[in-house]
Amino acid sequence: MRLDGGGRRADLIGLLARLILGVVLIVAGALKVTSPASSALAVRAFQILPYDFAGYVGYALPVVEIVVGLLLVAGLFTRVAAVVGGLLMVAFLIGIISAWKRGLSIDCGCFGGGGTIRAAQTQYGKDVLRDAGLAVCAVWLVARPSTAYSLNHRLFG
Amino acid sequence: MRPDASKKLAAATPKKGTNPAVVGAVIAVVVIVGVVVAILIGNSSKSGSASPSSGNPVPVGVIGGTGGGIVANAATAKPNAPTIDLYEDFQCPDCGKLEKAMGPQISSLANAGQIKLVVHMLSFLDGNLKNDSSTRSANAAACAADAGKFLQYHAAVFAGQPTTEGAGYTDVQLTGFANTAGITGGALTTWQKCTSSGQHAQYVTDVQTAGEKAGVFGTPTVKLNGKDITSTLSTPESLVAAVTAATK
Repeated sequence: MRLDGGGRRADLIGLLARLILGVVLIVAGALKVTSPASSALAVRAFQILPYDFAGYVGYALPVVEIVVGLLLVAGLFTRVAAVVGGLLMVAFLIGIISAWKRGLSIDCGCFGGGGTIRAAQTQYGKDVLRDAGLAVCAVWLVARPSTAYSLNHRLFG
Repeated sequence: MRPDASKKLAAATPKKGTNPAVVGAVIAVVVIVGVVVAILIGNSSKSGSASPSSGNPVPVGVIGGTGGGIVANAATAKPNAPTIDLYEDFQCPDCGKLEKAMGPQISSLANAGQIKLVVHMLSFLDGNLKNDSSTRSANAAACAADAGKFLQYHAAVFAGQPTTEGAGYTDVQLTGFANTAGITGGALTTWQKCTSSGQHAQYVTDVQTAGEKAGVFGTPTVKLNGKDITSTLSTPESLVAAVTAATK
């Protein structure tokens, strides 16, 4: 625990970054984990990865999201979790921007659902902003993983 | 001599001794097991739950391999007629709307032979809606194709689509559609057996896979000679115009 005011403030910003990124990942994972077939279809709809591999990604992704989200909320192995969370955001951003550029009309399936939707219903801009914001949270935590109220502090000192 | 305080200190902060490597290893194992289990469950949910008992697993009228669509009007389609590929899920409300608005026009074009109508019955909504009604109704319609009543059965299902998405179809409803489609007598017995055994369940799964491989990730999707024209279809007349333009 730091004693100077600036360090404490940074610790609290870190806590906020952890909670935002962590909670969003947990919610996103929980909404998909019980519908593996839909999750696989959502990944395939991006038409980037080969059919079978895209299916595996769709099945595995919710589990990874939930675990990384839990680690972030708990503040356990914050830097490692933030690296994984940040890489996920980069992958999502590449997928969404690529779909946007190719003129696909798909729902990103970020929070369940996915697949083709009407062109007017697409919301790539909003998805990109959200994931970019979450990536900023991840970058902060990778650069400065020490945060307030973390399990890391309690367990490992 | 003062008592040694270090023991007391150590007792006050017992968790200092927790080994990060051990905790990290446990979490890593949890992640790996979770991912492997998720992939195994996902793969098992992909293949049809009902295994075909007997008979031909691919229904009558299928073209383009085991996951191909059913040609709804093989007898009447003229040789120069353009191909309409119709991708629908029987549980998809927008498909129900399309059928209501354009179904009669599509059927009349098909019956007149002005198009070659190929219907691909998708079943991905089972995953979204967490039921099996898309697969069961598609299987039932494939059984109707064996009886030579595909288009009639297809129309009956959409006419009987529940107003609430996700309500699904009961076996009684599926049988009612067979009656509406005019499947009777021995053909009805065969249809009943084919439907209850899930004879074409694997075919239905194959159609879904083939649809995704063809870039179809939503329903309804209408292709005219391979080109997606879904967004251009506003009225039955727009369909007729597109078909006329594509007829050489």
